[in-house]
Amino acid sequence: MAGYLVGVDVGGTFTDFVSYNGETRKIEVWKNLSTPSDPNDGILKGLGRFEDPASIRNIRLGTTIATNAILERKGAVVAYVTTDGFRDVPFIQRGNRRGHYDITWVKAKPLVKRRHSYEVNERVMADGSVSEPLDEAGVREIAAAIKAEPEIEAVAVNLLFSYVTPDHEQRVREIFAEEIPDLPVSISYDVLPKWKEYERASTTIADAYVKPIVSSHVNRLRERIANAGITEQIVIIKSNGGEMTLEAAARSPIQMTVSGPTGGVIAGRQIASLVDIKDLVTLDMGGTSTDCAAIVGGRENFTTDFDIEFGLPIQIPMIDIRTIGAGGGSIGWIDKGGMLRVGPESAGAMPGPACYGRGGERATVTDANVVLGRINPENFLGGDMGLDVEAAHAAMAQLADALGRSKDETALAIIQIANNNMVGALRTVLVERGLDPRDFTLCGFGGAGPLHVADLMVEAGIPSGLVPNYPGQFSAFGFIMTDARVDAQRTIQLTSNNFDLDRANQALTLLVESGISDLNKQGYTERLQVTRSVELRYAGQNYELEVPIATESLDAAGAKAVWQSFHDLHQARFGFNIPGEVIEVITLKATVVSLAEKPELPEIETGGETPEPVSVRRVVFEDGEHETPIYDRSTLTSGQTIAGPAVVEEPVSVTVLRPEQRMTIDPWGNLLIGEIAGGA
Amino acid sequence: MSDQSQVDMVTMSIIDSTMTAVCREMGIVLMKTSYSTIFNEALDFTCVLANRDGELIAQAEFCPSMIGGVPLLVRSCVQEIPVDELEPGDVIVHNDPYRGGLHSPEHTLIKPIFVDGDLMGFAMTIGHLVEIGGMVPGAFAGEATEIFHEGIRVPPVKIKKAGKDVEEVWKLLLANVRTPRYNYGDLRALIAGVDVGERRLTDVIRKYGKAVFEKNVADLLDYSESRMRAELEAIPDGKYSFEDHVEDDGIENRSYKIAVNVHIQGDEAVIDYTGTSPQAKGPVNATLGVSYSAAYNGILHATDPSIPKNSGCFRPLRIVSPPGTLLNVDYPAPEVGGNTETHCKIAGAVIGALTGVLPDRTMAAEGATHTNFVFGGQDSDSGEAFVCYAIELSGWGGRSFADGNSATDSINGNCRVIPVEVFETRFPMQCESYKLVPDSGGAGKFRGGLSTQRTLKSLKVDITGSQMSDRHHNAAWGIHGGGEGGLAGTWFKAASGSDWLTIDKAFGKVSQSKWSNVTIGPGDSIRFQTPGGGGWGDPKERDRESLEEDVREGFVSPKIARDVYGVSVEAE
Repeated sequence: MAGYLVGVDVGGTFTDFVSYNGETRKIEVWKNLSTPSDPNDGILKGLGRFEDPASIRNIRLGTTIATNAILERKGAVVAYVTTDGFRDVPFIQRGNRRGHYDITWVKAKPLVKRRHSYEVNERVMADGSVSEPLDEAGVREIAAAIKAEPEIEAVAVNLLFSYVTPDHEQRVREIFAEEIPDLPVSISYDVLPKWKEYERASTTIADAYVKPIVSSHVNRLRERIANAGITEQIVIIKSNGGEMTLEAAARSPIQMTVSGPTGGVIAGRQIASLVDIKDLVTLDMGGTSTDCAAIVGGRENFTTDFDIEFGLPIQIPMIDIRTIGAGGGSIGWIDKGGMLRVGPESAGAMPGPACYGRGGERATVTDANVVLGRINPENFLGGDMGLDVEAAHAAMAQLADALGRSKDETALAIIQIANNNMVGALRTVLVERGLDPRDFTLCGFGGAGPLHVADLMVEAGIPSGLVPNYPGQFSAFGFIMTDARVDAQRTIQLTSNNFDLDRANQALTLLVESGISDLNKQGYTERLQVTRSVELRYAGQNYELEVPIATESLDAAGAKAVWQSFHDLHQARFGFNIPGEVIEVITLKATVVSLAEKPELPEIETGGETPEPVSVRRVVFEDGEHETPIYDRSTLTSGQTIAGPAVVEEPVSVTVLRPEQRMTIDPWGNLLIGEIAGGA
Repeated sequence: MSDQSQVDMVTMSIIDSTMTAVCREMGIVLMKTSYSTIFNEALDFTCVLANRDGELIAQAEFCPSMIGGVPLLVRSCVQEIPVDELEPGDVIVHNDPYRGGLHSPEHTLIKPIFVDGDLMGFAMTIGHLVEIGGMVPGAFAGEATEIFHEGIRVPPVKIKKAGKDVEEVWKLLLANVRTPRYNYGDLRALIAGVDVGERRLTDVIRKYGKAVFEKNVADLLDYSESRMRAELEAIPDGKYSFEDHVEDDGIENRSYKIAVNVHIQGDEAVIDYTGTSPQAKGPVNATLGVSYSAAYNGILHATDPSIPKNSGCFRPLRIVSPPGTLLNVDYPAPEVGGNTETHCKIAGAVIGALTGVLPDRTMAAEGATHTNFVFGGQDSDSGEAFVCYAIELSGWGGRSFADGNSATDSINGNCRVIPVEVFETRFPMQCESYKLVPDSGGAGKFRGGLSTQRTLKSLKVDITGSQMSDRHHNAAWGIHGGGEGGLAGTWFKAASGSDWLTIDKAFGKVSQSKWSNVTIGPGDSIRFQTPGGGGWGDPKERDRESLEEDVREGFVSPKIARDVYGVSVEAE
């Protein structure tokens, strides 16, 4: 394939770029500062690196524009239209508090005003029957009322039980298209056809809320890219790790809420397949937060369970990534009772850790790594940014005095506590899902991930570790390996003792067709791969387990096998099952993927068994200080072995190897640690 | 107190957060596998770890009303089943309010944790089973006059022995309730929760070794104790008093006083309930476990929320609760409402008592009722009995820095409301509307939170309903010059009628807010309005922009803005 494939990850501080040349198989990475006032500036600046813009064949973009619009409350003025009697649902929410005993808690405000909420006479019942027809004249009156409010920029429609019978919602959209054609309309059946009216309202309102801003952003991007003579082949990464066209993004912007972090998981999956590992857990540790996700049997997990802030759910299909507020910038502090704590407060990018020398005076995890000799102050960001070692020591000394310990002990304690927080995140994606850490390989990336992989393997009981190439731009790297993906789902109420095979098969067929047609409309017509599954629970429970359906349609024997899989899964996941109990079918799902060509990753040179260290320095580990050899990652070759303790440096990151650990370099340059490297 | 210099603050901090994560994982298993909506949607349960002596060592943030009851629960269990009769794989079930329990629906499952033959502690789940037999479907019999009306009493008995189900116990439990299939599922979920707790805590103990683990847990309790003592020390010594009332008990038309005197003495506090009314005939009485729990709850709200929550917090607190009163009921009086209705008013009064000295850590009264509506009937298709326990949300009180949150669960619970679409799918009732109640937030510089109103209609079958609620007459109090919150109410409209009647009028009951076994036939409707929160500070001092926004949003009417806040604002 000729031309460049380019992955772009627009983050809060940096915009990362990864390019792959299909002819030479060469990969290049670079980054420049993000431009929050108009993210397109940063994107275009980075793309300016190509001398011939026409040589860019395909751009895949991950962006936080939708998330930021919500978090910063900078979205559109939305009108909310719902069933008569229920306009207060977004304000009432679910009623539980963020935590106990916290009298300071303030409930989240919805992304809509009550004065912009409208009620329409209609009613669909739980079984899908219509008990009150849609009052079309009333809908036209609402349209007129919306028109009379010039500040309204988008409309969200959420009618009760629309996930069973969507006719009323669809008709409301048709009427609005006639009456208020200039306003974008989001209907809940399109956004989230699942039960629970508040969660669906919140998600649908969020979709409408970000629609105008995302539309104008992608329109400007399309225009600027065209003006610059760059390819029209530009797509945006969805929260489910699939890609979609700019048009699809403007139509359904809520799909890109968790766009950025998915890249690391996709890249992790590809690396796992390359290295032939089935079960991998990713650890993407940055300055303020850490993301974890599990890849099981070569596949990532998906979820719809996500709150953008406490009380504001956004339940779209997304890669199941757990985020905790702990990163390199997390601050160590002593609470009133003298207990050392780390985070959740972070020094962020400004002032940053004390060692950044920008006025930060409080010791962070990064400062602890500097004090312990794990980060080389001369080689931070490839030497582009000198570190103020004295400031790191001064900040640590303050804490150490208060604790009555040495600086080294205090720094080790900060690392230990931060690591324990991350072990907690790893537990939520592994142990809490019934997955055994002993089957996994820990893949660490992000600026700070490689520093902590070795310790975390030990703390979390994960025998193997892996630090991939380009750990600092790994998400953008993942974007050059995505496929187009549509997750179609629908709530359907059936039970195992009264299972209507025809109805289930019909619904499945419709879902598959809608997924294929969605992809076709976006121009993806080749290498389509369809998977089907069903969400089940015991009649009476309220949470489901997902069971795959292996065949195109179900027959009696197939259904029986599905019930048995559910009993087995329940036993594995929760430690018990209830044989003979009626099983409820809640949601049918179909996923359609259009497989893209994947880059063939280049291999590195082979040679020499033991690499030469570039220097030796004092590094502190739990068992004391060691004169530790330091290696330059760019000089390592395939097949080499390193015995710990050791430190491997590269421009954006540092990998630490504990004294008892062993590392090998694989043919593609991945650093393998522990069992996978033939060691402890 | 152990010597602070020998405390390993790092390992202690790590063990604390790991145990909290274990409790959270227990809760997730419980939520995902349980059957009743009160568990899986409302999250009315709690998951804790206790040490060998029954002291609470870790908890996750589910339902707080149960936390303070843990020490008493473990103590009463091991009184009847001595520790040397416990073996690995045993699970004890218990619900008896007169044996350290909180109220009859609350079932406690306790699993001893043995590591290499040594008893190291207990994993516990406590959850509200919707149906436990008794005179009404759903246990909240507003007109009960003895505990036997309220359902089956379960003294501490083993429901599993050495990992095997004790069939006789299961049979007895399931034969005495209207919804055996649901109770089976919920009990299985509660057991799955203690199983996870046992496995995970065993891993933690093995990782650190028994001695290190126990030393750090002891240090952790001491640590919480010293933090709590520092908080109390900072409050000026003195006696701080407050009172609230339970408006009636469902049997007699008279109110019951809750008297709270908080004595701060150096770094300790005594919470004395002397002056509280004698116990009621009806089911609003609090057991000793509830009165302890409520005092702890109030104090924890008024102190630093970052203190690790364990028995150490409770050591500097003493509770005086004279027997035979509303707050320390004698056998065999009924008590099912004490845990939901009386607890929050006790905790609110503790907070109210301290508002003069801790203005930034306290708030005006919240609704302080869960509006408990329980109902049952028979499914017209399957013939299976159904029973539902539905809670409603009320307004929080205003604070010195913010309005009260609207539509929030009272502070002795942390329940979620059941979604309309889940409710109607499960039960043959239609929710006709679900709204905020304008002007229900008590006026104030910071107003109280708004309450809610829900209207339900029975669709196909006779529904037998009962309610346990309060604040139909006795409004949530405002403070520092703030106004009272809006009143609650329950109204019934017959299919054939057009008037909304209070339940006393419609059915000849003594109380509007506490009643049993009312029939809601097909086409009949019932409406529940919850109380709003009290206001904080003089309404005349309310910031004009906030008031204008309230009027634009319809949270405050132009009339109230003019009459109470003294500002003319036009609604749009």
